[in-house]
Amino acid sequence: MASHPFVAMNTIEKSFNGVPVLKKVTLEVEKGEIHALLGENGAGKSTLMNILGGVHQPDNGQIFINGEEVKMADPHVSQAQGISFIHQELNMVGDLRVYENMFLGSEIRNKIGFLNVEEMCRQTREILAELGVTINPKEYVRNLATSYKQLIEISKALLHKSQLIIMDEPTTSLAEHEVSRLFVLMKNLKKSGVSIIYISHKLKEIQEVCDRYTVLRDGQLVKTDVMENENLEVITKLMVGKSISQERYVHGHEFGEVALEVEGLTSAGLFKDINFSVRQGQIVGFTGLAGDGRTELFESLFGYRKKYSGIVKVKGKPVKINHPRKALQAGMGYVPKDRKENAIIKDLSVIHNMSLSSMGNFERLGFIQGKKEQQKFQTYKEALNIKVHNPRITIDKLSGGNQQKVIIAKWLEAETDILIFDNPTQGIDVGAKQEIYQQILMLAEFGKAIIILSSEAPEVMRICHDINVMYHGEITARFTGEEASEEEIMHYATGAKREGEKIG
Amino acid sequence: MANIDAKQYSRESPSMKSRMSWLWSEYSVIIAFVIIYIGASAMNPRFLDMNNQLNILMQVSIIGIIALGMTVVMLSGGIDLSVGSVLALAGVVSVLALNASGSIWIGVLTALLVGSFAGFLNGLMVAKGRIASFIATLGMMAGARSIALYIAEGGSVSGEVSGFTAIANSDFWIFDFPVIIFFVMAVLIYVLMHKTRFGRYVYALGSNEKAAMLSAIRVDRIKIGVYTLIGTLVGIAAVIETSRLNSISSSSSGAQYELDAIAAVIIGGTRMTGGRGKIIGTIFGILILGILNNMMNLMNVSPHLQGFVKGLIIIIAVVFQKRE
Repeated sequence: MASHPFVAMNTIEKSFNGVPVLKKVTLEVEKGEIHALLGENGAGKSTLMNILGGVHQPDNGQIFINGEEVKMADPHVSQAQGISFIHQELNMVGDLRVYENMFLGSEIRNKIGFLNVEEMCRQTREILAELGVTINPKEYVRNLATSYKQLIEISKALLHKSQLIIMDEPTTSLAEHEVSRLFVLMKNLKKSGVSIIYISHKLKEIQEVCDRYTVLRDGQLVKTDVMENENLEVITKLMVGKSISQERYVHGHEFGEVALEVEGLTSAGLFKDINFSVRQGQIVGFTGLAGDGRTELFESLFGYRKKYSGIVKVKGKPVKINHPRKALQAGMGYVPKDRKENAIIKDLSVIHNMSLSSMGNFERLGFIQGKKEQQKFQTYKEALNIKVHNPRITIDKLSGGNQQKVIIAKWLEAETDILIFDNPTQGIDVGAKQEIYQQILMLAEFGKAIIILSSEAPEVMRICHDINVMYHGEITARFTGEEASEEEIMHYATGAKREGEKIG
Repeated sequence: MANIDAKQYSRESPSMKSRMSWLWSEYSVIIAFVIIYIGASAMNPRFLDMNNQLNILMQVSIIGIIALGMTVVMLSGGIDLSVGSVLALAGVVSVLALNASGSIWIGVLTALLVGSFAGFLNGLMVAKGRIASFIATLGMMAGARSIALYIAEGGSVSGEVSGFTAIANSDFWIFDFPVIIFFVMAVLIYVLMHKTRFGRYVYALGSNEKAAMLSAIRVDRIKIGVYTLIGTLVGIAAVIETSRLNSISSSSSGAQYELDAIAAVIIGGTRMTGGRGKIIGTIFGILILGILNNMMNLMNVSPHLQGFVKGLIIIIAVVFQKRE
């Protein structure tokens, strides 16, 4: 049986701009198996899958399907071979209906060439029923919750009679019961002979559902083995290359005065009755699943969203924040998530990104002093260990970690006392991650009040003194860093448990 | 550590080819200008005549002043279609104010006020009303032209104050006044865009509006400032236009100026979606347009065909800039 794997990728090599991304990687997936593809960000998982999906061409190596060599010249070839790729970012057209999305590009037509809407709706309903959901096929996709969009994306793969489905982090936007439903479905698919390549960072999920695993690190194959009986810690070690300590970074509880106090913050449909306070030197975490409203809460607090009610006090004084400028004046800085969209100005140089929020510091008689900007950048470059050769290049040429440090420098230069970080280590490799954590801790020691939003419970557990868990726009639980456990956090984040008294 | 150094070294010593492509992407408009300039001198000896050269500068100065403002608007990620109509309106109203008051200063001031107020309204619509700049200024384009026609009853109005024509028809050393005004404005806008926070904010806003706002920039005020600035520049252009012939036509003055100004900005390499571009580029863009017009006149090309050539040049310019 093992002699004929459904898909075999042999000694695949690929480099971008002379930088090797994949070095002789081999991957075999049997018929009817769920295969986990593991690795840190930047290990080469996505590139490997994009090669299988026909998006990129390998520099070297072959792909065999059912023992025959196939050249994946473009995504259509890959699709014709029965391979479906479910991307992490959903490829849905919000302004089209559910069935239109399902059949996009492969519409069913009747004899004279008109669309056969009834047939498409019938098939859509059938497949969705298999997944155990009932959605009106004529509903517009923009009106659906993210988890439903995810399920539609999966049904689309089923519709195309796929032999192999690649799932890239499919559970990030799903609630717990939806995840378990997805797993049941995956096991059913497996029985009917469909293979699945499953990419995820959630090792527990992987152990539950996957048969075998392959670990990549720095573009190289580290290990392929059977999942059963494998120790999760061993796998983590393989991914990272060394055993990372899950030890908490923060100790000590010597906080200063209350820096930020929030009472009864409410915004219709986004969050309600939020109360919390942060002291100088304290690191407070907010975690939860997608759709918990934490990003919206802090975008409101920072003045990016204006429609909210409630009391915000900075150092005991009530402030009305209806624009980020007001937030800055009150001493708040915000390092947003999705750095490319929200934080960096990609056409401005590294230096200019650093000085953007504090132009007043560099002006004389209304004119910008370029030299002063450069000198100031030099100090931040050393203090935060920003790796850049020529700071006049545009910021998009820097790695994610260095971009993030520039954004941190921006708010330090603006002399903010309260710093809000939303997903601070998103898209940042392991080494730089540790560095960012250390810098956040250092800032707290200097007496800054720090708020960390993160979807990863382990992250907030490691660097926060206090942890708030949010679910559907409400704070459902509050832990101190020591007493929190990942399981407990997940219970409250998924809404399985809630503890009103604890919040008081 | 040595390993990293070696890596960076190899990355930072670009091949000749990539250096050339950098030169091309940064300064393609200047290279194109030089080529066209040499071509023009080779094709017609009269082109290099000093008077002809100064004449070209004179002819591009009005559109040039508008194109400077258009560069700022387009860097901010917007567009202003109303410049031609606002020029006509500012001209008509300023001539009426000039004749009524008998003061040249009041005439000039009126033109500037009408221009900047129209721009301010555009800015309000775009920033506070959240109307796409294309739509907001399209409305202003129709509205301003209509009011100009109504005030002037569809015809032209002429100045009755002696000395008003001196503004556009005097010269200093070898340069005509409008050319000097254009150069002074170019320097001022250059300094504004590169040496003040306003300029920095415009680039940031055009590149990524959400990130600019989350960096605590008052995006709305910058937008209003940008449109008010181009309105003021249109007011200056209106004074020159009116003073040149001592009259302004409510129906034809300023017609299609928006297209020429946008063309100059695009040829100059400013990105349509904002955030990237240079004032210098626009200056060379307007000079390229001026030389082409001049050449076609010298070579007796039918004026009806001149639009075709201009269109071709714009498209070629954009095609080449795509390869960045």
